Amino acid sequence: MTDVTAAERDLVRAHARAERGRRWTAFFLVAPLFVFLIFTFLVPIGDMLRRSFMDGDVASVWPQTVAVTRAWDGSGEAPAALWPALAADIKASAASDTVAVAARRLNYAIDGGRTLVMKAARRLAKIETPPNGDWRAVFADLDETWVAPKTAAAIRRASGPVTDFYLLAALDLRKTDAGAIVTTPEKDRIYRTVLWRTFSVSGMVTLFALLIGYPYAYLMTRSSKRVAGVMTVFVLLPFWTSLLVRTAAWIVLLQEHGILNDLLMRIGLIDHPLRLIFNRVGVVVAMTHVLLPFMVLPLAAVMKGIRPETVRAARSLGATPMTAFRRIYFPQTLPGVAAGALLVFISAIGYYITPALVGGADDQMLSWFIAFFVNDTINWGLAAALGVVLLACTTVLSVVYAKIATGRRFA
Amino acid sequence: MSQSTMPLTPLERLSGWALAGFAALTAIFLIAPILAILPLGFSDGEFLVYPIRHFSMKWMEAFFASEKWAVAVKNSFFIGALSAAIATVLGTMAAVGLARHDFFGKKLITGLVLSPLVVPIVIYAVGLYFFFAPLGLTQTYTGIVLAHAALGSPFVVVTVGASLAGFDHNLMRAAASLGAPPMLAFRRVMLPLVLPGVVTGALFAFAASFDEVVTVLFLAAPDQRTIPREMFSGLRESLSPIIAAASIVMMATAIVLLIAVELLKRRAERMRNEA
Amino acid sequence: MKKPVAVGGERDLAHAPTLVTFQGVSKTYDGKVHVVKSLDLTIAKGEFLTLLGPSGSGKTTCLMMLAGFEVPTSGEIYLGDWALSKKPPHERGIGMVFQNYALFPHMTIAENIAFPLEVRGMNRASVKEKVTRALDMVRLPQVADRKPSQLSGGQQQRIALARALVFEPELVLMDEPLGALDKQLREHMQYEIRSLHMSLGLTMVYVTHDQTEALTMSDRIAVFAGGHIRQCADPRKLYEEPSDGLVATFVGESNRFDGAITGRDGDVVTVTTAAGTRLRAAAIDVGSEGSAAVIVRPENVRVGAAASGLDDTIAGRVADVVYHGDHLQVHIAAEGLDVVAKQSARDVVAPRPGDEIVFGFSTAHARAYDPARTDH
Repeated sequence: MTDVTAAERDLVRAHARAERGRRWTAFFLVAPLFVFLIFTFLVPIGDMLRRSFMDGDVASVWPQTVAVTRAWDGSGEAPAALWPALAADIKASAASDTVAVAARRLNYAIDGGRTLVMKAARRLAKIETPPNGDWRAVFADLDETWVAPKTAAAIRRASGPVTDFYLLAALDLRKTDAGAIVTTPEKDRIYRTVLWRTFSVSGMVTLFALLIGYPYAYLMTRSSKRVAGVMTVFVLLPFWTSLLVRTAAWIVLLQEHGILNDLLMRIGLIDHPLRLIFNRVGVVVAMTHVLLPFMVLPLAAVMKGIRPETVRAARSLGATPMTAFRRIYFPQTLPGVAAGALLVFISAIGYYITPALVGGADDQMLSWFIAFFVNDTINWGLAAALGVVLLACTTVLSVVYAKIATGRRFA
Repeated sequence: MSQSTMPLTPLERLSGWALAGFAALTAIFLIAPILAILPLGFSDGEFLVYPIRHFSMKWMEAFFASEKWAVAVKNSFFIGALSAAIATVLGTMAAVGLARHDFFGKKLITGLVLSPLVVPIVIYAVGLYFFFAPLGLTQTYTGIVLAHAALGSPFVVVTVGASLAGFDHNLMRAAASLGAPPMLAFRRVMLPLVLPGVVTGALFAFAASFDEVVTVLFLAAPDQRTIPREMFSGLRESLSPIIAAASIVMMATAIVLLIAVELLKRRAERMRNEA
Repeated sequence: MKKPVAVGGERDLAHAPTLVTFQGVSKTYDGKVHVVKSLDLTIAKGEFLTLLGPSGSGKTTCLMMLAGFEVPTSGEIYLGDWALSKKPPHERGIGMVFQNYALFPHMTIAENIAFPLEVRGMNRASVKEKVTRALDMVRLPQVADRKPSQLSGGQQQRIALARALVFEPELVLMDEPLGALDKQLREHMQYEIRSLHMSLGLTMVYVTHDQTEALTMSDRIAVFAGGHIRQCADPRKLYEEPSDGLVATFVGESNRFDGAITGRDGDVVTVTTAAGTRLRAAAIDVGSEGSAAVIVRPENVRVGAAASGLDDTIAGRVADVVYHGDHLQVHIAAEGLDVVAKQSARDVVAPRPGDEIVFGFSTAHARAYDPARTDH
């Protein structure tokens, strides 16, 4: 009897192994892409986002100073050990040409921080030993700002290894010397405006795409096969055409001596060319054109699945055409509306090329500022922090989209 | 136009016409801008503007004679083909793996595999720029191909996944019951039936790479040109009709891809109806 | 019934060697709910066994485990002397016909039928010859070069059959193979499958939820419910002597009278219904007290004069008389139930709706079951 149960136990184990085997096969098929994407996609993005809270700039070039500031609790007067350490670090970093790294970082923390540090670097190079061994007096002599309590506190906050500075700055927030989080004064606010601009441009593009795309998709699904085919080609051709070609096309159309202005002047509607490009109009028009297929295709897919009998039934039950549309047809298209709108909006908030080419200085969106901070001002921390904001929006919207999309599949 | 056989009220007829008119305007909005740029490739002017005073092959010839553009065309096709090949192999395997069995973390893995579709391209390009630099992959074609393969792979996962969704898994059981080992059954039964999806995915991945400029801007060395990159800098600087000439080449490629994908779609639909 | 009922014992399978053995086979997907519970079953060589049951009863899972597409959680299945648990499906050599035929849509009919021969490495000439013979066998020699989509449902069915038989498997499994066909074609195919079974000497395991199909085709029927085999017997025994109430109500039509057991005399119990009618019935799986469900086949219900002198009689009113061509169905409202009686259409005096009548049945035709084992 025990033999039988032992044999049975072996069998159970064998069967469990077989089931597991199938799962492993599936897993091993997915694994190559998974691993590939971890190293070419996930890790690079994580590496970038990490910079939004990593703060190693000052620590990397001023090690002695950071050793002092990290040991200090930040209240009251700066410790006396700060001054000789700071002097030694500034001299050493000036000698190895790395002082600019600290100067750039301190410029975010102290008003005029860059000038302050660069000036000190030049002056301190000439001083071997301070009079009376008092480095604090030397710094006070350089600039009163150096010995103000808030300067030492600012250096301490910039000492790393982590900081909330960039993430706060990306939302136009900052920490006061007392540690409270406050909003940046109105005149210095930039990123909330950019964020709002990103959302409002994307919102407008989504709205226009929906207003234009809905009737088009509707007619596409109602028409004869031949007409529907032509209408589909009209959507698919722009869809497959390079983004750069389409952007170039809008420049040709909308520029000062472009086709549209030319046409309007010839008709006599206007006397001078309208300014249609390198401003918000150009951005919204071009982006709507580029993203319209992403609205029409999901809408048409959902509309194709709606049985016309439902509308006929509503009519036979006494509904007017308008009521039948509003109460019966439109609600059935809502999953398509949601999917199309989310798809367009998610794509739009990440747009870079089109606004960069057809927008003006006041039309640039989050992506442009990220690229700008990486390429031009080398403020990687802020670029990363803006990236966190943008990616957070994208992720939330994508999860909503996935919920809607899978919901539809199972419905 | 309407297929409805119901008698229409005058208001309905009117709104029908209004709808048709609106759709016609939309069609013009969709297609006219693209068509508008193409004739400028045959202009003899110096700028990307109408009117064209004389038609000439000047810019087309300039495009094809230019060393710079020749390199760009070659690079774009090379990078597109190589990255699409990587994306297709990895994406097809993953789609087959994701199609059947549940396993731990499947939802999360699916999410990751599809995420290149939605992550803003600038974030990705900047991330690569930082991550590839210490590895010596910036300013290399390898870096760009890897980036484009990652961007193209979700298209393959989606299209192959879609054709597998319509695949009757009893066919694989039937093949096994008739004596075919798993690999043979995959090769003889599953692969031929999902092949339209695989090729479609490959074409999408190619198109994604062929049109991609942001990662190239961040990763490529100054002399590593691609067509979109040259167009981007051309649009920022000179606005010369040579951009229209480049657009003609891009459009021709787009039309070929569009036709290929539509033919494959029809083929797949036919197969589905047969199944 | 147009086809003669296949009667067990017509072919003597009692002495045939065993081909398939299920030994304590259980299957669970989640570790809690058992789709199949410690199942024991033997299938004789040359037998036509039907697994019958409602959906979710475990019959298809059993077939899938035999084919190798599902793995038993415990227990073992033997094919001849082989333990199957370590054999992948493609090495089992079992022919299978799938519910929707599973013909390969990208291959021609000839390529479909050639497939099992090619994967076995058979040479071209023999493949061609065998394909031709298989097509002749299902009487479709003209469709060799067509694609499956160009064939009708019935033709696809026959091709699926030809493909499953062409490599001469000893055992053929069929998973609701006729479910997608219309009634007439289905009856025709039932006949063809049965004659192929006999002429080729095959062993067949056939899954269906259609009890008429099961009765007409099988040597033996295993009735599944809740992962158990409730009864496994030849069609006549199954129909006339169902071993529990569920089998009695699932196989064939039946009338059911519920009541309490008020007396027992040997193998006969007296069941008193809620309305107070006392019925005498054969005790099948009931004791001498508790509740019981009395099951009577419609053809055993006598109406009017024919009912006089029977053990059990009940008064009712004719609700409707439905003409079925070869018989009449008389619906009688009695005791709040809709009782059905089958009558020959040639009966001289057919009852009319509204008639107050008496109907009844003999004790031999009334079988008392445990209600707990009657509900589906």
